[in-house]
Amino acid sequence: MKKWGRTVGTTVRKIKGYVIRDWMMSYLFLVPAFGFFLLFVAYPMVKGVYISFFDYSLRDFSFIGLDNYISLIKDDNFRKSMGNTLLLVLITVPIVIIFSLFISMNIYKKKEFARSFFRGVFYLPAVSSVVSITVVWGWIYHPNYGILNYLTSFLGMEPISWLGDTRTALLAIIVVLITTSVGQPIILYVASIGNIPTSYIEAAEIDRATPWQIFRKILWPMLMPTNLYIIVITTINTFQCFALIQLLTSGGPVYSTSTVMYGVYEQAFMLGHFGYASAMGVILAIVIGIISIIQFKYFGSDVEY
Amino acid sequence: MRAMKKGLMSIVGVALLGTQLVACGNTNTANSANEPSNNTDKSEPAATETAAKPAEITWWNFPSFQALDGEVGKYEKEIIAAFNEKNPEIKVNLEMITFEGGPEKLNVAIASNTAPDVIYDAPGRIIDWGKKDLLAPLNDMVTDEVKNDISEAFWKQSSVGDETFMYPINTAPFMMAVNKTVFEKIGALDLLPLDKEDRTWTFEEYKKALEAVKEKAPDVIPTGFFAKSQAGDQGTRAYLANLGVSRFLNEDNSAVAINTDNAAKALDWIVQATKDKLSVSGAASLAAADVNDLFLQGKLAFTLNYSAVLKAQNVSKKMVEFEDVLLPFPTLDGSEPKLEPYLGGMAVFNNGDEAKITASKKLIDFIANDPVWGKKNLIQTGGLSVRNSITGLYDDAEYKYAEYARKFTTDAPTIADGYADIRTFWFPELQRALTGGATGKEALDSFAAKANEAITKAKAAMK
Repeated sequence: MKKWGRTVGTTVRKIKGYVIRDWMMSYLFLVPAFGFFLLFVAYPMVKGVYISFFDYSLRDFSFIGLDNYISLIKDDNFRKSMGNTLLLVLITVPIVIIFSLFISMNIYKKKEFARSFFRGVFYLPAVSSVVSITVVWGWIYHPNYGILNYLTSFLGMEPISWLGDTRTALLAIIVVLITTSVGQPIILYVASIGNIPTSYIEAAEIDRATPWQIFRKILWPMLMPTNLYIIVITTINTFQCFALIQLLTSGGPVYSTSTVMYGVYEQAFMLGHFGYASAMGVILAIVIGIISIIQFKYFGSDVEY
Repeated sequence: MRAMKKGLMSIVGVALLGTQLVACGNTNTANSANEPSNNTDKSEPAATETAAKPAEITWWNFPSFQALDGEVGKYEKEIIAAFNEKNPEIKVNLEMITFEGGPEKLNVAIASNTAPDVIYDAPGRIIDWGKKDLLAPLNDMVTDEVKNDISEAFWKQSSVGDETFMYPINTAPFMMAVNKTVFEKIGALDLLPLDKEDRTWTFEEYKKALEAVKEKAPDVIPTGFFAKSQAGDQGTRAYLANLGVSRFLNEDNSAVAINTDNAAKALDWIVQATKDKLSVSGAASLAAADVNDLFLQGKLAFTLNYSAVLKAQNVSKKMVEFEDVLLPFPTLDGSEPKLEPYLGGMAVFNNGDEAKITASKKLIDFIANDPVWGKKNLIQTGGLSVRNSITGLYDDAEYKYAEYARKFTTDAPTIADGYADIRTFWFPELQRALTGGATGKEALDSFAAKANEAITKAKAAMK
């Protein structure tokens, strides 16, 4: 039995005599999603933090307090992995931003067909399977039969073991990471740039502003919400880079491409050290959190146009 | 204040993402999975003697048997059908796992109390599980006849102390292989030791063969090496140990023995051979499978990680026609080589249900000892029998040689305490040498220091 009515600004319905207001209905609709969130996100997270204080391996489960964290601080490989991860972020994120912004600036003015074509081209790696892309790059970098060495041989260069040399392996990973990361930012930038009123740019052009001035004084500030989103998401994705590393280098050579996420996988799933791996996950989450706060602080701004 | 709230929410948000990956285990499982093993009645009668009880068991299988008609798991289903004819009360659920993802899947399953009941695997993992009290002992399956028909070395690899945790079934010594067709084409067949019954040869003879390939078959890379990941590490271990006439671990597996001057020189030679294009370039980024693929494509004259089992499994993977021949690793002084054995066998997880344990043992007994299927299964693995009494399974020169080469079998380090950790230190040190970050001696000493520490820790944890 339902009765519908309306009080001041609030829709009210009655179900079996109970008064249900709209805001209550809103929460009811959220219950399934929130349930999934609690079950598959919040619970594993809390459990992850919990077991980071235990010696949790295939056989043991005993409370050891902060021992996992203390061991991590002393672990040379973890420090190396953290350094590699931060280096990946520091190099990859700015390049992805600059590269995707540059491409977007060049394609947003083009006709719809060309715009769609370029968006599709650059977005393709983002929607392709990481495994497929990695296999292709594995062939490209192959030390004996890779196309990259074939091309560099025309320049008179000796074959390079791109993934097997500590000097080039991380660089090779960064290149793949960038190519797979620019797709989504390009889509977002093209959409955002298209939303900026052209009158601002036209006015600046009338005032003889240079393209660089237009970019710096008008476009960049007005793209700040998009910048923030892209920077945060790209940073988190780079911190969580795993499949690429596992398939291309397994963290080698000599840990030169090992990241914290790969270390988590190695410790948990290859060696069965779940407590230690959880502690690594917690530290990684804290680092990502701190960097995200800094990014929100420096790039967060409300823009209306 | 608002910014602070925002910041806190950000931390919570990213923490949610970052800590999910490893939180998939069931904390109660590690203990609960272990407890029943202590209650196992070791005096229970042999599996085959107990009364038939209905049971449903899960069998996880690596591709230990060659695929039938190209379909992975088809042969295993035939085994189960034949088993059910004799044991209709036991339902067997088969799940095929891969060598790439299977080990991780098993670790997660064990940690979350969803381990299978029975598995066909090798000592490296099985003995580690045995040491962690995760398996049901199989002593009651080992009759005197079986005990006496299998060599002590295999029992050593299948047991922890007095308890047998793996029922050994098939074996084959790990060796290297040569593309004989390449040597025929370049007229250098005499450089291979194929006219000798034992096919043993020296480091110098091996180098001459490599030089011949480099000179006369420029499209073929003389030999391979790999150091990307752990899979196939028995190949690099044995290669280096034989070139340097050194053991990998000492005889009681209590310390590393590979860091000798000769082995260090051998590693330095491998690095130099890579620079001289005698050995495949980019070894630090190549896995064992990559190198074997090059061999199967006819692009490599020698490969390091081969056996009669792998030779059989690789037939369908060959990209070009050529004759592959098994060879022992060359030794520095021409002394007898030391070959690590491949050993395959079955184990039962102690999931706390006696009926399942008994049913699992019956399945193992059927696979290993059934008068009809026992022999058929062995041939399908492409391996030799661990039983001394079962020989002449194949009418093939390479199998005959593999059988002959069993006399070169040495101890496998896979049963050492802390082996799972030991092997993680091996490839990074090889990579250090290959990339010029360390000399052979420095790399091997560094490996020894880390591995010895892992052995000591593992021994202490077991007390």
